[in-house]
Amino acid sequence: MTHVPAPDPFTVFGVPRTLDLDARELERRYLRLSRECHPDHLRTQDANDCLAVLQRAAEVNDAWKTLRDPWTRAKALLEAESPGVLAANKKLDPAFLADALELAEEVAFVRPDHVGALRARLQQALDADFAALRADVGRADLPAAARRVHGAHYHKKALADLEHKA
Amino acid sequence: MTTAPQPPAAPRLVLGIDLGTTNSLAAVRAGKGARVLRDRDGEPLVPSVVCFHPDGRTIVGRDAKALRLDFPERTVFSIKRLIGRSAAEVQQEATRLPYRVVAADRGLPRVQIGDQQWTPEAISALILQQVKATAEQALGQPVREAVVTVPAWFDDAQRQATKDAAQLAGLECLRILNEPTAAALAYGIDGSKDGTALVYDLGGGTFDVSILRIDDGVFRVLSTAGDTHLGGDDFDELLGQRILAQLPPTSDPYVLQAVRAAAEGLKIRLSDADRAELELDLGDRGAVKLAVTRAEFEAAIAPLVQRTLDCVTRAVKDAGLQLHELDDVVLVGGSTRVPLVRARLQALTGKVPHTGVDPDLAVALGAAIQADVLAGNDRSLLLLDVIPLSLGLETLGGAVQKLILRNSTIPTSVTEEFSTGVDNQTAVDLTIYQGERELAQDCRLLGRFQLRGLPALPAGLPRIAVTFLVDADGVLRVTAREQRTGAQASIQIVPTFGLTRDEVRKMMLDSIEHAQHDYLAREAIDTRNKAEAMVRGTQKALQMAELPPDQTYAVQKATKALQKLLAANADAAALKAGCDELTKLTATIADDVISSAVTKALKADEIR
Repeated sequence: MTHVPAPDPFTVFGVPRTLDLDARELERRYLRLSRECHPDHLRTQDANDCLAVLQRAAEVNDAWKTLRDPWTRAKALLEAESPGVLAANKKLDPAFLADALELAEEVAFVRPDHVGALRARLQQALDADFAALRADVGRADLPAAARRVHGAHYHKKALADLEHKA
Repeated sequence: MTTAPQPPAAPRLVLGIDLGTTNSLAAVRAGKGARVLRDRDGEPLVPSVVCFHPDGRTIVGRDAKALRLDFPERTVFSIKRLIGRSAAEVQQEATRLPYRVVAADRGLPRVQIGDQQWTPEAISALILQQVKATAEQALGQPVREAVVTVPAWFDDAQRQATKDAAQLAGLECLRILNEPTAAALAYGIDGSKDGTALVYDLGGGTFDVSILRIDDGVFRVLSTAGDTHLGGDDFDELLGQRILAQLPPTSDPYVLQAVRAAAEGLKIRLSDADRAELELDLGDRGAVKLAVTRAEFEAAIAPLVQRTLDCVTRAVKDAGLQLHELDDVVLVGGSTRVPLVRARLQALTGKVPHTGVDPDLAVALGAAIQADVLAGNDRSLLLLDVIPLSLGLETLGGAVQKLILRNSTIPTSVTEEFSTGVDNQTAVDLTIYQGERELAQDCRLLGRFQLRGLPALPAGLPRIAVTFLVDADGVLRVTAREQRTGAQASIQIVPTFGLTRDEVRKMMLDSIEHAQHDYLAREAIDTRNKAEAMVRGTQKALQMAELPPDQTYAVQKATKALQKLLAANADAAALKAGCDELTKLTATIADDVISSAVTKALKADEIR
């Protein structure tokens, strides 16, 4: 089973394909689009349109889900700009991987009084990942950006594992 | 010929109906808010009770409730606990009821009154008819359409059964609306209350909690959780046990009903007083004299209240929020009058619960507001609700691949592409499950669907795109298409199964308790599938690649070793080691065919 990507969420929302979107503006747009295309406001329409109406409303809800998180937004951006770039750039720098695995080890054996510090470090690593991603996208180096997204996954996973333990 | 100017069309009138376990009522939109519809005595609540009088009359509501001691085996209450469920599912419940519940066709429950059998839908319809009659009398005009509320965790079968009841009562049900969502509408209707609200809805038979975000008239449900088998009736039951302990053992319906009524009275008095006394004289059936302090009562119900708080914590977490980020806490349902409930909820959230709307009326008021939106009279409001339980597909080896996660805003859709696992396979079965666990055997089967007439092609070549769409009513629709030939199949999942309330609760609890076990089991299946794919891919590639004999031999050896592990049902760790060995080996080989075959084999996620 392979996931088929939904329609490009930037197009669904009518916003430019950029990494940095204003969160409040994005939310306002979501609410406006919902008002425009939710079936509750379109009940008087012809029943034949029903599936199309539902599909459109679903696209808006699903695009919102993708765009509101910066990392899923980044993935959608890369796929929209260069389809297949994420799948083609899964090979990560061994040094980066070694660091990421070390962090995962730390999470696995963290002492309760060190959780806070480790959380801060992982958050820092994620922030650094995103800053680097922004630079990659700025240079239009999409393969590098794709590797950055894959790399950040390790940090996100470690952070999630840490929260699960805490 | 002249045409007279058309008088402005009267706004379409749609009722909002709260069909409750204990009481039911209707409301209509009025100005910016809504108003409940009252009977001639000014009473809005219709007790959800039906008495089939021996003289042949069918009596509904207050008069029926008054007769429950006279005809306990002919007076039906709490029918909401039976609707949309099977006889087997409600069996245990039925032993606590003074009226008889029997299993009929297809294992569905019927209420046995004399020599007549009644479906839960028909009894609910009698209650709805009474509510409708009360509303029509108050409005002075007939009504044909309604929005009917259900607990957020009602499943497809229960929603459909409720819809059927409305139809039996002569009402077209425009929408089945979740009770906590409705309550939030009633609470936030003036539009000045933007923010995040927690709705805590503890009724007679069910508990729901929802977290909502309100922005300029858009009510967005962020998460919902609940315990579908927990309510004020359970508080009564605990007090009833104390009363029954002082009587000789009995299954006499008259005694059970009298004890039930007495327990409810005690509970209500303990909401205001620190101590309540009971003197119950049942004539030759016995007598009880008993005093209960509030502290005793609270100690007895504390574990139940804690269960509701666990749901609150989970809902807040699912919404991606912290408890301190809640702006308001809203109470709904008569059981929130119990002081311990309020105190514990306040202690947990740090917010004084909002009681501006009567907890008995809020759900109907909110339903009336949504009814007006659906009637097309109000475009300023919009409700965005969520799906309460995840939907997923069974994959190889009995794992469940989640397609749509619980708390996804509806409508929502997802498209996945599938292929075949064997050459010339012409049909693909998809089995859809509902629940939070990792393995199919632990989730509830929702339905099966088959895509037939696939072109006969080598394994992996057909491309079947399957779209899963959940509509605004929370009903799943599935469409599928083979990408090369355009062959199409479509089904609607018919809600014949429906989760039992206990199952939902149990599944949720299990998914927490067994998360670790599930993870390991899931991992074992995944590893096995991966190893099988690697063996297949490598063998195929070996035939095509032109390798020096020593490399061919090494790869063959590693493949055989992995095959042996598979045949011996080795555990996940051993299989993983075998896979790693093979990967390492193929990575050092300069031939692209081999390494790409292995990578490809790992990616191929086939279904049979």
